[in-house]
Amino acid sequence: MTVRHQPMIDEWYPVALASQLPPGGRATQLMGTPVLVVADDPIRVVTDDGRDLPVTLRYGHVWTSLGQPAKQLFDIPEADQPGRRLIEVGVVRVRCSPLRAVENFLDIAHFPFVHTDILGAEPHTEVGKYDVEIREKEDEVWATKVQFYQPQAAKSATGGITTDYMYRVPAPTSSVLYKTCPARPGEWDVITLFVQPLQEDLCDVWPWMALFDDETATTDLIHFQQMIFLQDRSILENQIPRLLPLDPGREIPTRADLTSVAYRRWLKRHQFTYGAQLVAQ
Amino acid sequence: MPAARERLTIRGRLGADSFLPWVMRHAARLGLAGDIRHADAGRVDIDLRGPVDLIDAMEMGCLLGPIDVWVETIDRTPSSSI
Repeated sequence: MTVRHQPMIDEWYPVALASQLPPGGRATQLMGTPVLVVADDPIRVVTDDGRDLPVTLRYGHVWTSLGQPAKQLFDIPEADQPGRRLIEVGVVRVRCSPLRAVENFLDIAHFPFVHTDILGAEPHTEVGKYDVEIREKEDEVWATKVQFYQPQAAKSATGGITTDYMYRVPAPTSSVLYKTCPARPGEWDVITLFVQPLQEDLCDVWPWMALFDDETATTDLIHFQQMIFLQDRSILENQIPRLLPLDPGREIPTRADLTSVAYRRWLKRHQFTYGAQLVAQ
Repeated sequence: MPAARERLTIRGRLGADSFLPWVMRHAARLGLAGDIRHADAGRVDIDLRGPVDLIDAMEMGCLLGPIDVWVETIDRTPSSSI
């Protein structure tokens, strides 16, 4: 691991679901370093050379860091809101840069073409104007006032609706999506993408949700999200270049890519470069 | 698509030698006519002429910029100098 990756080494990452940790633990890796998530009480995460890593349990997952995190894991207040169902979706392995996985999650424009007739449909392909900012106090990327027509925005939706979205990036490989809650107008459903960087071009994606939905069976909610992420996987695994460029390179970003641009600017500012391409090709 | 004349005032850490050639190359890729009116390590003014959507794209591209510069802000104002 090189010094240039130190800022990302000092961040928190998910490495397991706490509720599904087998008795023998989970052998995995983090940024190329083999680690074992040990099913002790309390749960431990250790490296091959016996070093105990910092551990925090939150949002159903075991989080750890190879370095020394300067702050606690980001807060999602909705996780503690009464009445929400907390859904652990499981893990999807994707052969792509962990930063690419987050960038794809932030991209609304692909909905009609990748999640056809579910999260989008032609001819409703236009992304309207929305607001994006890097919030200095929280040091997070936020996109707000995002609206998009969706034929089936959630498992509980019975027809097409214009869905309101907010996106939040509180950590280099985590994103939180807030979207219109069909079952409870005025509230937001929370869908997160927690990405475990295995290598610069390989990651485990751990989606997690906090929903107001008393009707839908848990297995159906999980299958719905897994279907969405599996559709994304085929796109992600074929993206070129494999690492996320932090300059425009050959791409011509437009106003619809504003969230992606803000995310990449934020990565660049903090030198979060594990999984990033630093020279235009 | 309506054409416009706008000045982009770019501020940040712009001292890298790569920046001005990169700006002109990116403008050319977008098919925009452009002239650099001022350049120092902290500020670059560029006058652009072309479709508004492509000037939008120029702003997006410059916000990212090449890897060795940091663009802090971009202000856009109407320009009559092209």
